[in-house]
Amino acid sequence: MTEVRTIDVSGLKPYDISSQAPLWWGQFMIVFIEGTMFGILIAAYFYVRLRMDVWPPPGDQFPHRTLPTLELIPLILSCVGSYWASEAAKKNDRAGMIGGMALNVVLAGIALWMRIVEWHSLNFNWMTDAHGSYVWAFLGLHTFDYIGDLAFTAVLLLLVLIGRYGPKQRLGVHVDSIVWYFLVAIWIPIYVVIYWGPVIVRTQQ
Amino acid sequence: MMQRAKWARAFAIASSLVLTSCIYNRQSAVDPAGPQAGRVDTLWWSFFWLLGAIFLIVMILTVMTLGRRHRGFEQEPLAIRHKASDETESQLRRVVTGATIATIVILFVLIVASVGTGKANSELQQKKNPLTIQVTGTQWWWQIQYMNSDPTQNLTTANEIHIPVGRPVQIRGASNDVIHSFWVPNLNGKRDLIPSRITSEWIEADHPGEFRGQCAEFCGLQHAHMAIWVIAEPQAQFDAWMKAQLQPAAAPQTPAQIRGQQVFLNNACMYCHAIQGTPAVGQNGPDLTHFGSRRGIAANTVPNTMGNLAGWILDPQSMKPGNHMATVEVSSTDLQPLVEYLESLK
Amino acid sequence: MTASQDIYPQTETLARDVDQLERSWRHPRGVFGWLSYTTHQAIGTRYIVTAFIMLLAGGIEALMMRTQLMHSNNGYLGPERYNQMFTTHGTTMMFLFAVPMMEGMAIYLVPLMCGTRNVAFPRLNAFGYWMYLFGVLFLYWGVFTNAAPDVGWFAYPPLSGPQFTPGKSTDYWAQMITFTEVSALCVAAEIIATILKMRAPGMSLNRMPLYVWSLLIQSWMIIFAMPAIVVASSYLLSDRTVATHFVNPAEGGDPLLYQHIFWFFGHPEVYIIFIPALGFVSAIVVAHSGRELVGYTAMVLAQIANGFIAFGLWVHHMFATDLPQIGEAYFTASSMMIAITSGVQIFCWIATLWSGRLRLTTALHFVYGFIAIFVLGGLTGVVLASVPLDLQVHDTYFVVAHFHYVLIGGAVFPLFGAFYHWFPKFTGRLMNETLGRVNFWVLFVGFNLVFFPMHILGLKGMPRRIYTYSPEMGWDHLNLVATIGAWVIAIGGVLFMVNFLWSRKNGQLAGNNPWDADSLEWAAASPPANYNFEYLPAATSRYPLWVAREDRAVVTGTRNERREVLVTTLMDAKPHHRYVLPGPSIWPLIAAICVTTGFAGSVFNAWYITWGTIISGLALVGWFWPKRPLEPADD
Repeated sequence: MTEVRTIDVSGLKPYDISSQAPLWWGQFMIVFIEGTMFGILIAAYFYVRLRMDVWPPPGDQFPHRTLPTLELIPLILSCVGSYWASEAAKKNDRAGMIGGMALNVVLAGIALWMRIVEWHSLNFNWMTDAHGSYVWAFLGLHTFDYIGDLAFTAVLLLLVLIGRYGPKQRLGVHVDSIVWYFLVAIWIPIYVVIYWGPVIVRTQQ
Repeated sequence: MMQRAKWARAFAIASSLVLTSCIYNRQSAVDPAGPQAGRVDTLWWSFFWLLGAIFLIVMILTVMTLGRRHRGFEQEPLAIRHKASDETESQLRRVVTGATIATIVILFVLIVASVGTGKANSELQQKKNPLTIQVTGTQWWWQIQYMNSDPTQNLTTANEIHIPVGRPVQIRGASNDVIHSFWVPNLNGKRDLIPSRITSEWIEADHPGEFRGQCAEFCGLQHAHMAIWVIAEPQAQFDAWMKAQLQPAAAPQTPAQIRGQQVFLNNACMYCHAIQGTPAVGQNGPDLTHFGSRRGIAANTVPNTMGNLAGWILDPQSMKPGNHMATVEVSSTDLQPLVEYLESLK
Repeated sequence: MTASQDIYPQTETLARDVDQLERSWRHPRGVFGWLSYTTHQAIGTRYIVTAFIMLLAGGIEALMMRTQLMHSNNGYLGPERYNQMFTTHGTTMMFLFAVPMMEGMAIYLVPLMCGTRNVAFPRLNAFGYWMYLFGVLFLYWGVFTNAAPDVGWFAYPPLSGPQFTPGKSTDYWAQMITFTEVSALCVAAEIIATILKMRAPGMSLNRMPLYVWSLLIQSWMIIFAMPAIVVASSYLLSDRTVATHFVNPAEGGDPLLYQHIFWFFGHPEVYIIFIPALGFVSAIVVAHSGRELVGYTAMVLAQIANGFIAFGLWVHHMFATDLPQIGEAYFTASSMMIAITSGVQIFCWIATLWSGRLRLTTALHFVYGFIAIFVLGGLTGVVLASVPLDLQVHDTYFVVAHFHYVLIGGAVFPLFGAFYHWFPKFTGRLMNETLGRVNFWVLFVGFNLVFFPMHILGLKGMPRRIYTYSPEMGWDHLNLVATIGAWVIAIGGVLFMVNFLWSRKNGQLAGNNPWDADSLEWAAASPPANYNFEYLPAATSRYPLWVAREDRAVVTGTRNERREVLVTTLMDAKPHHRYVLPGPSIWPLIAAICVTTGFAGSVFNAWYITWGTIISGLALVGWFWPKRPLEPADD
């Protein structure tokens, strides 16, 4: 029988912690999917605004801006923790992974608390009118994803702490940062729309 | 209950058979009766012949591919290289390129023709002296309001529009509930009626006639039975019709009609239906002031005859199941007078 | 199930390698085991079978509709039942048949064509299937408990809103969307990862089979289009259940916003269904004409362009809503321009058939049927792109004719061709060719009998979605012809099933490559082993199996005592690292049950969102809990 040429791959590693891993692409798909959803929500907000004469509708307060603006600080800083953990995962640096993820979780938790305080103080809810529905949709969807990724990171942190991890889990730590960067980045335009939108596109008096 | 339903339906079918004088056949986009529909009809036939020719050419070429397998076409290179000679390959590529360029050119022409037709149709709006009619869609009938700068000339009616020949008419579209669509194909394309918005369309008839339209956006249970008549008549006839319609309702003349009016006012009818000149001012249902002059009942579900009207009043659900008209208990002695009264409202 | 002897080295390690592969890829036993399968052939088959059942369900719904419309003033179905029929027919065909069927075929074929052993995320694959199945069950639970949706497959508010359609039926519809979209998104993500990262060494992007290209493009379209329908259906569902005001006009919501968002998804959706079918056509044309495709680069670019342009057309579904003229002109232009990208592909196929050595198999018959029907549908699409013409034929039977021509001609005919073409690969036997040709002609004739008259009916003024019409309209004769055609199609469907069942037992044995085709799936056994190939093949040309034996190559050195595959680079598919895939797992099913509890329950009580999230989170923890060995052995 004719001998067939062979390509021997036994020298290659059985895993890879980088953007070459399929899971990296999987995480990016999540980014595109969620990003598209938020993009549509933002477009819808302005579409509805264009159809209304008075914005925000009478009775809805202008959302307070101080706390949400302050919230941006721990939120953006939490990305530092994410980056630290992600790089440490590549190098199998356990202390770095723990430190980075812990920093991320703590700062994200502080930002979340600030968001919930402000959210609680709104004088309208999803049932009040279209403006209320849209603002609550933004807050609801983003916070849901936020808490989801926070929980995911917390579980990874736990696994590294108890030592139950290998290259697969390190890859998880490495790609987890992608979703976190996205969630922080997408929050910026949403924050502008919710908290500055009523000011920027308010009805001219 | 079953008896009344059967009776009502039998009357309806009988009347329909009488009226199969094909006037209903006209609800067609390729039977234009106005300038807008006329332009669209011309555009349609241009598309039809051009695209039809393209289809034929593509089909002939496709069928011809079958013929080649018997000709031993370049078998040798194919068997070895799984492609034809270089010369043939480049020939094929050139043909594909040529066909693509032809496609681009043809499509460009069609885009220009379409946009041009759309523009020309919208320019018809610029003509002077338009008539403005507001059509409000409701589940499952049409409220018609003739708008005039002089409020005493505003007319409210239902399910039937009269227009003067040769005059542009602006249809302002509105909806009280869900999305409907106003469509009279002999005169123009359709325009959706969307709640919380006013849409606008222009129609114009260039000769007299009766043109049927139908709701063209699914609006619930009886979407199938929501038709409208547009009657185009010469200006003089239209003016006479308008004058008559602006009068309050004809007073009942015969004893039966007088009795009929009493029945109407003593029952739930007056809570939904208005008859100008009587205490009935209900807005939920069609205005009945000149009901007798209209061609159909229940948004033209059945022709307006005494038999059909009797059947309708007795059991609206049998003719148009799910519609919002209440079933009013009318005794058999009261039915005939009521029908006579309503038919007298010309 | 023996290996193809002309491609593999007959080394002494072959027997040992096969033995290891058999053991590491073996399916687990019993019912619990069956519920834990994660091989792509099994999951793909499940999708295909379930979607086929949905095709039959949708077909029955259509037959009932056609029977009612057979003549004027017919009393077979009243308005309630008819409205439910047309809604469930459209919904079933679009969401529960067309996309999942294409996904199922992709899940089965893509790893084989790329020369790998499974998709990139096997457990996600299983999860996606369960979500699809639960979506089917959820909707049909509604149908069978007298809560079938009845507001049309696109459910425009305010008709579909809480005020005009109270009750649960529309809620079932809206939430079923969420199930099926989650499923489709999972499949899209894993197909993209598989195609981009797990192709055979040497299969650079410009050597990928056109079917794989079509799946790559379609999957990216799903990623960007599906979120829109999730938003639209969620807006509708929350307006109905928790009194939000997204699309409900009462407090500032806008029904047209729903249409924009829906059709932003809805138009790409039809291309999502249709582009993989074009991939089928390319595969069949190449194999059954024995020659390379004319204009491979043009075809790839045309499909990519198709994918992009499809996102810029959606307003042509809304021309009747009184839009600004400049918007109408733009969408006319883009809607017509997409005919160019489709046209290029038709020309390339005709050129290929013209210069090939045709084997007139049943599969190729379906390709010819596709060309005839799809081209006609495409041309009526050009008519619909023109605003003045659209305003006359929109929402009439002309449109019904158009979309059935492009969907059945453009997707279902290639699909049947694909069944006949790949049946030998899936089952090891050939389908009966004589019965196949009869099958084709019955379907072709039946289809044209049903849908051609509808063009005329639309021009004669017959609107869509009417449960009856009166005799004076003059629509009786054509409707009767259409109904007869529907029954002919039904016979065609039965013929297919008979052929399928007969051929499974009695069909001629196929061997690995009965068509002498070019792509890598034909190097695997028929049917493939769970591991597909004894040695992962390399692709040394765009048409790998048409290359002389001495120029082929295979991959050695993967550890076969575990489920290991090769990850290659994005552009040139150079081997980069090895990748251990998970084995069978029950966690995808558990997670799907938890998510289903949340989705299904939330239609009745919004708190289920919270409970569902919590248990789903726990299920995910179980799913991803690290299993030993934590470090893959590597010596």
